[in-house]
Amino acid sequence: MNEFDIVIIGSGAGGAPIAHELTKAGKTVLVLEKGPMYDAQDLSTPSTTAPPKHSPFKRDELLADGPEKILSVQGVSNNGQSYYHSHVEPDINDEPHVYKNKAGQDFATIEGYTAQVVGGGTQLYGGVSLRFTENDLRLKSFNEGRTLQKDPNDDVKREARDWPISYQDLEPYYVEAEAKVGINGTSGPQQKPFSQDVYQTPLQPNPISEYARAGMIELSKRLGSNIQPYRTPLAVITEDHLPSGRKVPTDPDSAKTSYVNRFGDPLGLKSNTWVSLLRPIKNEPNFEIRCNCTVTHLETQQDKISKVFYLDPAGETRTVSGKIVVVACSAIESIRLLKLSAELQGEFNARINQNPLLGKYFLTHCFGGARAIMPERFDKSRALDADWATDACAIPNFLDSRGLWAGAAIYNNTSDQALPLSLFRTYGSQDLDTLWKGFANNTGLRGDNFINFLDGEFGRGLSVSFMANQVPQFDNRIELHPTVKDKWGRPCAYIIKTWHQHDQYLMDVMAQQCGNILRYGGDPVNFNYNIEGQGGVYAAQNALARMANHILGGARFGNDENDSVLDSNCRAWHFDNLYITDGSFMPTSGGANPTLTIQANAFRIADHLEGRL
Amino acid sequence: MTNFLEMDDDYYLNYCAKVLSRKQASASASALWQFPIVDTHDNDKRINKISFIFQDVTTTNGSNADVGIIGTFSNLHTPVPLRQIQYMGESTPYHALTITIEHGEVHRYLLTVNGEVLLDPLNPQTVTLDNKQTWSRFFTHYCSTPLSFEEWELNILYRLLDHMLPFHTEESERFIKRYYDGLDNSAKYASKEGFYHLDDSVGEVNFIDKLLCKEERHHLIDYKICIKEIDRLMRQRNPFSEPHDIPKAFYSGLYDEMASGQVPGWHYGTYDNPLYFLQILRRHAVLGAFSHPKYGGNSGGAGWAFLEGRYRDSNGDSVFDWREALEPPLGRNLDYTG
Repeated sequence: MNEFDIVIIGSGAGGAPIAHELTKAGKTVLVLEKGPMYDAQDLSTPSTTAPPKHSPFKRDELLADGPEKILSVQGVSNNGQSYYHSHVEPDINDEPHVYKNKAGQDFATIEGYTAQVVGGGTQLYGGVSLRFTENDLRLKSFNEGRTLQKDPNDDVKREARDWPISYQDLEPYYVEAEAKVGINGTSGPQQKPFSQDVYQTPLQPNPISEYARAGMIELSKRLGSNIQPYRTPLAVITEDHLPSGRKVPTDPDSAKTSYVNRFGDPLGLKSNTWVSLLRPIKNEPNFEIRCNCTVTHLETQQDKISKVFYLDPAGETRTVSGKIVVVACSAIESIRLLKLSAELQGEFNARINQNPLLGKYFLTHCFGGARAIMPERFDKSRALDADWATDACAIPNFLDSRGLWAGAAIYNNTSDQALPLSLFRTYGSQDLDTLWKGFANNTGLRGDNFINFLDGEFGRGLSVSFMANQVPQFDNRIELHPTVKDKWGRPCAYIIKTWHQHDQYLMDVMAQQCGNILRYGGDPVNFNYNIEGQGGVYAAQNALARMANHILGGARFGNDENDSVLDSNCRAWHFDNLYITDGSFMPTSGGANPTLTIQANAFRIADHLEGRL
Repeated sequence: MTNFLEMDDDYYLNYCAKVLSRKQASASASALWQFPIVDTHDNDKRINKISFIFQDVTTTNGSNADVGIIGTFSNLHTPVPLRQIQYMGESTPYHALTITIEHGEVHRYLLTVNGEVLLDPLNPQTVTLDNKQTWSRFFTHYCSTPLSFEEWELNILYRLLDHMLPFHTEESERFIKRYYDGLDNSAKYASKEGFYHLDDSVGEVNFIDKLLCKEERHHLIDYKICIKEIDRLMRQRNPFSEPHDIPKAFYSGLYDEMASGQVPGWHYGTYDNPLYFLQILRRHAVLGAFSHPKYGGNSGGAGWAFLEGRYRDSNGDSVFDWREALEPPLGRNLDYTG
């Protein structure tokens, strides 16, 4: 069968909710996924009757972090250097992303790639599933008449956009996503309206997180808001999950292993989109997923996408068609696919580029935080990704007091550097491109010094992170690289971006709050605990590559076809049946990790599409 | 004992499409060390599934090749056929066969393609026999047979690693010895006997020996050149001792020299950056000490046990309960099958 009601490219956060809903509605659905099908063990099968099959995802640091490879990409400045990627991330020798550094040199990077596997980035993420605030969706309106620091040319006010939908429009879909994906957390102190609380009950936090909780309480007291911390919403089930049929182990606490962030979950307790949304429909006759298939381009006849071209697992070109075509292969790759399609067909080019905005206003997050070695030692290997969060730095009073355009979610990372290899590979590294470099260069770390390092660090490190909006800039963009090609000979994505000075100011302010949380929490008497450091990502040596794998924008939605790439339903202007539903639709990047919002929006688009089909 | 397993076509495609599907010949792929695929067996934790893949590079839409395999695991004379893999009911260029082999074994094999005997074009591992015949080779998990190095090379490697990891103080060595002695039979399995210098290390040398066959085989040349260079230097500095017998201070001094990048007597024309080799070695040492034991190091979880024993919370409980997350017999998690 090669004709479907809907063809969805990508099985992650932007695609799977639509596949789930439209399959349930009886439509014929095809999902094309570039990566393999790596399932979790089936815990619903009693092990006494049939031993559960193992999963290709392992609690194995070497598999998840990857052995060293040597970059062999001609024309980039880091050619010949080491790189590392997990078994389900793309090999950047085959499919590099390239970014331009401050000096104008090109570097290949693994940053900005989400996983290439059924479930996409939700297989490897830490599972932090925060909602955006009401103001995150109306930053243009919110900033009218406000005085901002470090924005002498009023760039922020000029470039900020309200989303074409409000928080109230999106809220029912947040509830739907939280229920169907399977999220644990607490809603009470969150500074966002909840019509329903469908969170599962969180597991007991790791005891080291108590420092962060105490520090968050003291911070909000000093800021005058007294906003209480809440348990970070995490996409990990802690109870049997009816919508997906998943069951938790007899001891639900066994989910706390610290093999979480950047690990696929062999037990399927992490609510990736495969186990939560696609596996439950896999046997429906109107649903099909084709794995290991790389979509190369789209072809249009007038305003309808008529064919989707893809390479099958053997490299043979095939085509399918759908009444609706949804592109959801993560922002950078989606923009690349649209640009590649435009290069191959004049009609497509004319329609997708009726304004100059495709690829522009690419966004990630302003992020960073603080880290300290805490007074006591705890077993950090029994943890999920984050325990406590606070919205104390997301409310208008705080933003007004600091002259900031937007707020941030702040949470403590619990599982970071919990396992031995992660401790060493991230020692002194700045990102995924510089893993092991700090350890390799510190040759003094041996013998007694090796022990001293472990004595100081093991079970004692605690970090607190912030996640905040990045100022949209027209010149922050995704292009096709003029010379670097992928293993198929197709131009690679070229990432060009800078940080606005207001971004830098915002990161300094937020990093100070994260540092304060540790200072207050680590020393409940004098509130002046010594921390290792604090800062925003802009200060890193390779700050222009950093994305936290939150890749957003580049095809923003809006109500004005001259000011956006997509309409309010994420349909590409001047196309009847082309939708883009990964993070690229976002005009602003939100003050929190984006996955839940991508999922909620995809459930919203599913409703719209169901009405069309 | 070797058994043949029937696997779904998707099983093979899930493992090979990312690496092999490309415009140019698969020889340009950087992850061919993954072949043949060594995987966990579904039901028996002491056995690996080994899947051989042959890609007919002359076509993308179906292969008529007649592909078989001979090997030490089965039959050296009569080829066992590989099955053609289908996708959506159509033939593909891929042929595959899955067998089962016990942990800790090394085997050699050749493919037969339309009657012609070939080395496995995907697998970069080969072994040349005394009769000068070259075969493709693979090994299973928990392998302790030296494959990359000769004994004199292993001896020097062991002495070099003496100075990097924390397992060589008196106190640590006593702990490691007690740990190995105390392992029960099931856990001892995960520390197969025969690891080189097992009494004094956690198997990191064996890990490196295996890593250089597969994942990081691109660094084997660094090791070969530098170990030879170190052997020469040590003989020059200590004409009356074998390099592996000379006092610790000489290796310690060499470490410092390599760390500074200035090693008196080093042949820079042969290898221009001893610091780079030291950096590779340090990373590999840590990987060997703390990676999953199936890769050949961290024998029986001894590296993890060292951390477990050393680091305690204020109640005296360990802060690294690593067994809780891992599969038996190594760990005690009854849900995770490994």
